[in-house]
Amino acid sequence: MLHQRTAALALGLAVGTPMAAIAQDAPLTVAMHYTQEQAAPLLACLDAYDADGVTATYQQISYRDYLQTVLTGRLGGQSPDIYNVYSIWAAQMVDNGVLDTPPDTVSEFVSETYSAGTVDAVTIDGTAWGVPTEISAYMLVSNMALLREAGYESPPTTWDGLREVAEAVTTRNDQGRIETAGFAFADSSSGAGFVHPFYALLYSEGARPYADDFSEANLDTPEAETALGQMAGLVQDGITDLSVDAYDFPAGGIGMMIMANWLESEIRAGFGDSFEDDVVVSQIPAGEDWRTLQYAFFMGVDSASDRKEEAWELVRYLNAPRDGGPSCIGEMLAGLGALTANTADNAAMDAPDAFTAPYLAALEEDRAISQPNVMQAAEIEGMMAQTFERALAGDAEPGPALETLDGKVEDILFEFY
Amino acid sequence: MRPRAPVGDDGPAAGGAAPWVFLAPLLIFAFVFFVLPLGFSVWLSFTRWNPLGTPSWVGLRQFEYLLTRDDAFWRTILNTFVFAFGFVAIGVPLALVLAFAFSRAKGKAIWRQVYYLPQLTNIVAIAYLWQFVLDDRDGLINRGLAAIGLRGPDWLTDPTMAMISVVLVMIWYDAGKNMLIFSAALEAVDQEIYDAATLDGAGAWRTLRSVTLPIIRPAFTFATITSFITGMGFFSLILAMTGGGPRGATEVTALYTYRMAFEDLRMGRASAGALILFVIIGLLSLLQFRALRERAR
Repeated sequence: MLHQRTAALALGLAVGTPMAAIAQDAPLTVAMHYTQEQAAPLLACLDAYDADGVTATYQQISYRDYLQTVLTGRLGGQSPDIYNVYSIWAAQMVDNGVLDTPPDTVSEFVSETYSAGTVDAVTIDGTAWGVPTEISAYMLVSNMALLREAGYESPPTTWDGLREVAEAVTTRNDQGRIETAGFAFADSSSGAGFVHPFYALLYSEGARPYADDFSEANLDTPEAETALGQMAGLVQDGITDLSVDAYDFPAGGIGMMIMANWLESEIRAGFGDSFEDDVVVSQIPAGEDWRTLQYAFFMGVDSASDRKEEAWELVRYLNAPRDGGPSCIGEMLAGLGALTANTADNAAMDAPDAFTAPYLAALEEDRAISQPNVMQAAEIEGMMAQTFERALAGDAEPGPALETLDGKVEDILFEFY
Repeated sequence: MRPRAPVGDDGPAAGGAAPWVFLAPLLIFAFVFFVLPLGFSVWLSFTRWNPLGTPSWVGLRQFEYLLTRDDAFWRTILNTFVFAFGFVAIGVPLALVLAFAFSRAKGKAIWRQVYYLPQLTNIVAIAYLWQFVLDDRDGLINRGLAAIGLRGPDWLTDPTMAMISVVLVMIWYDAGKNMLIFSAALEAVDQEIYDAATLDGAGAWRTLRSVTLPIIRPAFTFATITSFITGMGFFSLILAMTGGGPRGATEVTALYTYRMAFEDLRMGRASAGALILFVIIGLLSLLQFRALRERAR
């Protein structure tokens, strides 16, 4: 028996030692959802990276499959060293110990370099779990050609104004179907097309969807009812309907939408030469105290990585300015037309275009409040989207629908908080 | 004359280890890819497991939640029955009619290939294709109806019409498969039986009712049961075409459990939901099989 054990131990050592050496010599893996083409500036940085023999490589995982690939990879012991995490996944990843706690130097770098709202977006239980990368915020995007045709020279700044303009822009064909829509909600599979504008309106009402400690939901409040009532009123009063999809905005038949900045390239492609003149981004139409929603991706390190210290060093290197120029991540995001809340990057880069500038201003003025980093965020937002859609379609009144939703969401919160 | 083998000596054991060696690849395959995952799934249904962490035993709580507190689960069960029933009730007779029609048509091989083509097409491509056709505002059908002054239905945004739409597309997608099964059964009917029926004075309808249909009943039973099982568990078309909407009107249980597992990361609850669906399908298939067999006697 002793011989068998000794043999097994020897075999383990014989196999394990070279494996450990291989793991130490292998490049650090950075897993992001950008294609190789989109990530070209980052790839150049990774190729050039050599910190005392530690090198790095890139792994592309499609956005849709990201979380599942991470799960499968971890089950099989094949997880990357560095993740680019969508902030709503973060609470579960932290709760299950997937993410490593950043060292003090990285935490300080984050608090000194990024705006407060963005730091909130990557913070759970008081800890910023990584370095923010791509930021998305929501603003009112208007097709000024349609608004001018209807007699309006500027986008509305209040909800009543939006209703008036949208009604004036909307046209219907002989069968009563909308031909030109004054306003449209986005039909997204995640439900974000309803939920994100709701957050923007709720924040503008000065409310939050949850208590600070997530012990209860605030979805049955008068503010929430107002926000959903505003959205539902557009459909109930015939100003728009759910057959119109905001993602068709680039085709030119939609007057206004509340949309994130990442759709810019598609809108630009759709409008062509008239983009600069006809597409205007402006505040959430909720008066002077308007607020909006932002969400973030951030770079974090896998707690199972055998080189966490080196991985954090690489994360910092990729996000720190280079000789007065933007960071590797900043350069990549600029190429994509995406937002960063890295103040050093924004200072180092050219002034943003007219489309992006209002989004950036919303981040800098701290008007953009982060999407809540709550456990089961995707499940909760899916439930919210179904409730909102029912209210918009007239199948339910906003007040009772929100009351039922609040109860269901609190059931989920009760499981985790 | 060959000596008869002793009683009890004609099973796999009679040949020693040899039969098991030959069966081993199949048994190992079945164990690894069927028994093991099914057993794991059953075990998971008694746990609470987010795949980022470790499973914790919760007994029957997942079943209790789904069956007593989750209204959405019951709504998806109802949607599943509507989808499967619509698919079988229209799809199977339609496939039979097509098989009859093409069995006497010129170029029947080409017709059969044409109707089988959707089966060879990617289901996501099919979903997108039909979205273009059925889109309420810009779809081909409603644009065509508008051109003659008619308002078409809200194919994909009205809850009832959306269910009808996905059932019809599913029938279109699957009709070719059952048509081939019925075609093969029809080809196998001996021509002499038809000749005898004609000699006895049976007309076309009488021949169909009293000769053809009883003979192809096994094919009918097979097509009905397999289509029902397919309809109860199918969700990829719905996922790509309506995403379960509008307002959950086309969300079937398989899609609901898929989302529960891979979007909400509730593997235990999703396994319990899948197990409930599995039991429902199993029981109904058994009842259906018995009913059809009884009628055949």
